[in-house]
Amino acid sequence: MSTVLKAKDLCKTYIVNKRQNNVLKNVSFSIEEGEMTAIMGPSGSGKSTLLYAVSGMDGITAGEVSFCGRNIARLGEKELADLRLDEMGFIFQQMYMLKNLTVLDNIVLPACQSKKNKETRRETLKRGEELMRRLGIIDIADNDITEVSGGQLQRACICRSMINNPKIIFADEPTGALNRTSSDEVMNELARLNADGTTVMLVTHDSKVAAKCTRVLYIVDGNIEGEYNLGRCEAPSQMRERERSLNNWLLELGW
Amino acid sequence: MYLSILKKDLKRKRTMNIVLLLFIILAVTFVSSGFNNVITVINGTDYYLDKAEIGDYLIITMGDNAGGNIASVLDGAGCAESYKIESCIFGSQDSVTKIDGTKVETKNTAIFQSVEDAKMNYFDTDNQPVTEVGEGEVVICGKFIQNNGFKAGDYIRVKLGDVQADLKIAGRAKDAVLGSDMMGNTRFLLNKKDYEKFLADETINAHYRGEIAYIETNDTKELSSIISDIPGIAFSGARSLIEITYVMEMIVAFVVLILSLCLIIVSFVVLRFSIGFTIAEEYREIGVMKAIGLKNRKIRGLYITKYLLMAIAGGIMGFFAGIPFGNMLIKSVSENMVLGNNGGFLVNIISTIGTIAVILLFAYGCTGRVKKLTPIDAIRSGQTGERFKKKSFFRIGRVKARPSFFMAVNDILSAPKRFMTVIVSFFICTLLVLMIVNTTATMNSSKLISTLGTKEGSDLYITDVESSMRMMNTGDREAVEKELKRIADELAGEGMPCDVGVDIQYKYKLTSKGKNFSVTCAQSVNIGADEYEYYEGDAPENENELAITPRISEMLNVKIGDTVTVDFGTEKLDCIITGYFQSMNSLGEIVRFSDDAPTEMAFVSGILQNQINFTDNPSDEEILNRKERIIELYGNEDVFTAAEYCVDCVSVVPTMMAVQLLLLGITLIVVVLVTVLVERSFISDERSQIAILKAIGFKTGDIVKWHTARFGIAALIAAVLAAALSIPMTELCISPIFGMMGASSVDFNIDPLRIFLFYPAVIFGVTSLTAWLTSLYTKTIKTSEATNIE
Repeated sequence: MSTVLKAKDLCKTYIVNKRQNNVLKNVSFSIEEGEMTAIMGPSGSGKSTLLYAVSGMDGITAGEVSFCGRNIARLGEKELADLRLDEMGFIFQQMYMLKNLTVLDNIVLPACQSKKNKETRRETLKRGEELMRRLGIIDIADNDITEVSGGQLQRACICRSMINNPKIIFADEPTGALNRTSSDEVMNELARLNADGTTVMLVTHDSKVAAKCTRVLYIVDGNIEGEYNLGRCEAPSQMRERERSLNNWLLELGW
Repeated sequence: MYLSILKKDLKRKRTMNIVLLLFIILAVTFVSSGFNNVITVINGTDYYLDKAEIGDYLIITMGDNAGGNIASVLDGAGCAESYKIESCIFGSQDSVTKIDGTKVETKNTAIFQSVEDAKMNYFDTDNQPVTEVGEGEVVICGKFIQNNGFKAGDYIRVKLGDVQADLKIAGRAKDAVLGSDMMGNTRFLLNKKDYEKFLADETINAHYRGEIAYIETNDTKELSSIISDIPGIAFSGARSLIEITYVMEMIVAFVVLILSLCLIIVSFVVLRFSIGFTIAEEYREIGVMKAIGLKNRKIRGLYITKYLLMAIAGGIMGFFAGIPFGNMLIKSVSENMVLGNNGGFLVNIISTIGTIAVILLFAYGCTGRVKKLTPIDAIRSGQTGERFKKKSFFRIGRVKARPSFFMAVNDILSAPKRFMTVIVSFFICTLLVLMIVNTTATMNSSKLISTLGTKEGSDLYITDVESSMRMMNTGDREAVEKELKRIADELAGEGMPCDVGVDIQYKYKLTSKGKNFSVTCAQSVNIGADEYEYYEGDAPENENELAITPRISEMLNVKIGDTVTVDFGTEKLDCIITGYFQSMNSLGEIVRFSDDAPTEMAFVSGILQNQINFTDNPSDEEILNRKERIIELYGNEDVFTAAEYCVDCVSVVPTMMAVQLLLLGITLIVVVLVTVLVERSFISDERSQIAILKAIGFKTGDIVKWHTARFGIAALIAAVLAAALSIPMTELCISPIFGMMGASSVDFNIDPLRIFLFYPAVIFGVTSLTAWLTSLYTKTIKTSEATNIE
């Protein structure tokens, strides 16, 4: 297994009202290929900031972030955009999509934009439809984004994040705006993608969601306070036990 | 709390508020100056002619022993309630030179008068009456000073017969009767003593003298019948005819009027958009305010207060900006006229208050949505999910275009209403520009040649007032033919074999249905009546046949096949009307005789330009060479091609060109401002989408392309629509104006390159450039905002 993402002495500081706010303080960790890592921690601990810093969506103040051997801190705006387009996938808490496009068009948009994609539009559309079929939302392909439920839309966002076959998917509280049923469906899809080989890094408040991951990083005040290896979930029956052990660990850390 | 929310709103949405304020200022500027101009233009000529006191009817006589003829007829005419007669001297173009003898440009015949004996009012450039001129000085009407590069204090030399005087230019005056571009005679106002020095010369008194009568009457038809007995009438017409002579100036004035109306429409369209848009964007705030218990009335009041404050601030600024802006627009018209309205600033104030009221009305209407918005809207980002209609039939899989372009087209197809503001504003402005371009191009071409009393297709036209006056004074048609033969022989001797013809105008008494009319009649020498254009019927062939214009048809109440009696002096002939032609000469009040009609030079009122037709079929290039050689040969600059001759006759062309540029400038300013406002509004609305696109790998350049393409497409739609409609709209709107001048059916000169390519390309280019520059603002939107969207 090779290292997909590696952060070393990562610092992120914001200046708010002339006051320095150190959100990330010398954070170091790495994510191996095929891992599904959850970042947990209290509100304001720096979870989302960490996700955006390592995904190149936000700049860093100090340290190094290496993605597949490339230091992304040194990449320019255009190179970062190409990296996000071709090698990373993103899922957000709010299911933002372009409102004038249908669900399918929203999904295939990154593929149409990618210069690495040599497919014809028809082939790309076919692939988009296959992804939608896999996630059980093929019925809403031609729908407007305002005509579908939150759960369906989030699964469409997963499809969009997958369309360029990324090396890693970053998800920021992907189930935060969903009810329990939709949340389970979305997490099952992410787990299935991970089982198929896609590396996933997600931020969550929900231990039930985190229990589906292979590893959990716990962050407090910009520092990684602990790391918990859950290993791969082999059967649904293991979930209750995984949740219980994770909750115990979190309680120990003051969750 | 109320004030605190307002203060925060104004601060937080600074850019949008500034842009909105800018548009309120513009709207008030356009509306206040526009309405003022509309009232001024509608009052236009009536206001000017009233101030000048020109009466209801006007007669100008000239020629041998013209003095006293008018009074003797008017004294016995019951329909003439009162009249004023002033004496004048007619001079050729050569009678005025620079002090060193160099030639100057005097349009048509020069007229000299004593200002003390003037019976109508003249006005200086500040619109103050000119009542006196110092001895040895001259005040000159029309554009003479400007056209010859003179300034006050310079000297001109006037030589009439054997009398010569050097006169100091004291200034310029506006002449209501002869100052229009269509009349175009230059009047020189002298001190009485200087004028009498000229009149003391017997030759001048006998041959160059004339009279101008301003008559008050309530029966112009009866009067025009009576005055047909006055000999030597050079011009006669009712006040309404003088008003028509300002039609060229009024074209410009109406352009200003239409421009003002367009700007008013654009202002309101844009204001409606921006107010509606900004309020629609407030769903979150409105939802939150409702959630904390604020009532609809209070929330609505908050926004109305905000718009009231902005409208008042913008209104005050717009009011002050409207005064110089309005003056700038009307300046091109008021150069030749005294324009004004009795309302003055009151119109501006009322317009400003009206615009503020309309803004509040828009705000009130738009805030009606407050009732519908609920706290849930704040949570659901304004989406209710209640939409069952597909937005666009355009699919990314069906096109090969790049996503940026696809999204641009798709946005317009999905929400065309959103882009309507851009399309409507650009369409209105572009259409107006193109209509003026078509009109100017027509005036600037040879398309009007057949309406100017000349044969279509002559190679060159020579204006030589002195030669015309010499021919007029011979009293012999044979002498005219000899003079033309002399010119033809002279040119043939120079290797330019040609026929030279000329159109002679007479004043004859015509009787129709028991009524007499003094009418201008045309007959040519060396050009057959059948060589002119008739749009209905045929050319007159026999001596008892004539062709008429639609205006004569209306005036005499006759049509093709009817008979009118013409008193040729030596005999009276019942002439049959054989056809209709159009002419802007004598403002369309003209008839054309056959070549055999028994005309007499004693009835001549004018001789038009010599028309040269080369007999050796030279190329266009050779014609231009010959033109230069003729200029050199006769030392006369007034040798024209057909197009140049039209421009010389329709002298409003330079003004129209200036107005065209002004219009294009204002259109481009509107285009830039609308684009900036709407694009900034769109960016503000689509912040979340832009952040998401960036997050999934779109570069700023792609976003900029997407946004620029939308405006480019909208501008292209507007420009294409405007270009397509410009031809029928020009015919619909401008033809009646030419019709007033006597040209009832004008074939417009359409330059397809300019109409379908150049101007649409300029509008498209400026819109795209502005949209591109404005959309660069999206660079400031960060990918991280995808998760931090309000």
